[in-house]
Amino acid sequence: MAVIRNPRKNALIAASLVAPFVLTFALVFAYPTFQVIRLSFTDSPLIGDGEWIGLDNYWRLLSDRLFYTSLWNNGYFLLLTVVPTTALALGMALLVNKLKGRWQALVLALFFLPYILPVSVVTEIWTWMLDFQFGILQPVITLFNGDPVAVFRNPYWVMPMIALVTVWWVNGFNVLLFIAGLRNIPRDLYEAAALDGATARQRFLRVTWPLLWPITVLVLTLQLILQLKIFDQVYLLSQGGPFNTSYVPLLLVYREAFQLNEGGYASAIALVIFVIILVVSVLQFQLLRIVGRR
Amino acid sequence: MSVFRSIVTAAALATVATPALAQQEVVWWDFLSGGDGVRMAALIDRFNEEHPDINIDATTLEWGVPFYTRIRTSTAVGEGPDIMTYHLSRVPLALDEGVLSEITAEDLANAGLTTNDFYERSIAAASSDDGTLHAVPFDVHSVVLYYNRDMLEGTNYLDADGNLTGMDSLESFEAAMAALVENGVTEPLSYATADAGTTYRVFYTLFSQMGGELITDGEVLAGDNADKAVQAIEIMARWRENGWVPEQTEYPASVALFTSGRSPFHWNGVWEVPTMTDLAASGELSFDWGAVQIPALMGQLGTWADSHAFAIPQEDQPMDPEKRAAVMTVIGWMSQNSLSWAEAGHVPAFRSVAESDDFRAMEPNATYAALVETVAYDPRSQIAGVASPLYDAVQNLIVPAVDGFVTPQQAIDQMKTDLQRLIR
Repeated sequence: MAVIRNPRKNALIAASLVAPFVLTFALVFAYPTFQVIRLSFTDSPLIGDGEWIGLDNYWRLLSDRLFYTSLWNNGYFLLLTVVPTTALALGMALLVNKLKGRWQALVLALFFLPYILPVSVVTEIWTWMLDFQFGILQPVITLFNGDPVAVFRNPYWVMPMIALVTVWWVNGFNVLLFIAGLRNIPRDLYEAAALDGATARQRFLRVTWPLLWPITVLVLTLQLILQLKIFDQVYLLSQGGPFNTSYVPLLLVYREAFQLNEGGYASAIALVIFVIILVVSVLQFQLLRIVGRR
Repeated sequence: MSVFRSIVTAAALATVATPALAQQEVVWWDFLSGGDGVRMAALIDRFNEEHPDINIDATTLEWGVPFYTRIRTSTAVGEGPDIMTYHLSRVPLALDEGVLSEITAEDLANAGLTTNDFYERSIAAASSDDGTLHAVPFDVHSVVLYYNRDMLEGTNYLDADGNLTGMDSLESFEAAMAALVENGVTEPLSYATADAGTTYRVFYTLFSQMGGELITDGEVLAGDNADKAVQAIEIMARWRENGWVPEQTEYPASVALFTSGRSPFHWNGVWEVPTMTDLAASGELSFDWGAVQIPALMGQLGTWADSHAFAIPQEDQPMDPEKRAAVMTVIGWMSQNSLSWAEAGHVPAFRSVAESDDFRAMEPNATYAALVETVAYDPRSQIAGVASPLYDAVQNLIVPAVDGFVTPQQAIDQMKTDLQRLIR
């Protein structure tokens, strides 16, 4: 008991317990963040120091048309992924939830499988499935379109297709979140509703939907953050083309930093993207919570 | 303590006892794969055998942006190689980044070389604007026109010896393609239409044959250069519309179209020469083939070209003079022995090899070797060269224009805007 009453010792123990985390956090997160902020006010190359140039990088960004194009493309990508993947995951979760025991585990594992693949494998699979000459999905495209399409080289197809690949890849995780949410809804609520003569539709709208709302908000927000940071799939599938139709902000950061040796400018863009993600996701999260409360 | 002492003693003994003390370890990085990689590995083995006092420790890294990013980061922290391969088209950006150590007169003397030993254009491309040398050219590699003699048999386009003839203008080349299509050939000219590098090489060849310049005084496609670029894309788009080139074809497929005997013409780099030679040697090529320099389609001769070169990274800690001398010995030896490298299709940059009887007897290299006189290197700019924004712009803008998604004029307008913003 004496140990707990000694405030100084208490504080020391507390400090030693949080120290590993605080130190790691400071080393791998706080310090790099500080460096990015500092670099964004300089004309540094990728490695080494540069001159302090104040807000010049930010002024340049404001007049960079490619930045606006990439933001616009990323917005389009959000439309194509965030709500569709959430709706799809919810639908799948409801169906999977109807299954029992081993069957449920099996189906869930199948849905989850793509999520454990590395992005390079995912894009390799889809590049071959959609290959212009040999892709096994080209007959399907021909059925609807009349001709085969080199999807990642076509300005109209490229973004929807990257969105499709992305949804296929990440959807399993969302299904899992929804399943967890569904299992948290007490069974007796459904029993009570059934006793009161509620239809299946009413049970969903009055019980499942409101009680699942926090999970829905979580999935939407996680997806929003994830898809605002899209880079890998674009880099691997279309390199931002054709005609800048799949150019996204992080690709701009990558090219400025690693191709053009513009560490300072790349940091400025990265920081602006960071702020945009922060603002948009906080806004969305709060907005959705308010909607849910009504 | 005794453990420590015995280690020290052992180490001391080892240094005294082994003759390897005198052996210089030269760390070598390159980006050469495929036929190039095999031939370079053989050269390195030969060098190591002939030089007991020097050992090349070679590593092959991934070509393109990954290679050049690693060079930049490793040299910045003093962990770079002792010698590396470099594209001369990347020299302008490298000079800006300060990653290349100057090759001094003393260095050249250690290698037994002088700048006069090399083709003038390659030395210019390896030097900074004030004329100081920063790399030693190893080869000139370009695109050539491969052709299938059997398929052209009976047309007017083969002379009595079975060599390609009568290709002296765009009209004659297009007439040949049209005639071949008449005779039931699909896709008479194969090139990798979906590949940025190949599309760029075709585009830049046509463009430079019109006397076009991509970047002049820091301005992208100034004056009538833009019109010439539009014209080059229009020609490539017309070839696609007429079905003369395969649509949306990746690099390996474009080679296969030629080697399988479907396309009588193939527009690609000299580095595919070993592919053809090897296939012919193993009897897998069902036809007789040849390769010539790209004909003067647009009025004058001219071909896109680049060079592999050797360079030494610039690090804060200057390299030990003995090691540097060893590195220069490697470079000198490689130049002297570049005939083996020429088997990979390249034209040696070292003139006494390129002008030797042995090289003149090497086919098809000797047939197209004259192209080195009229090569068009990439513009001297930080945004040009292998795996540069210029390559990206071709993938992003010119490929869709050739595919007909946008007009050539739109592509060029966008290209001017996109590339100009990168020039500071």
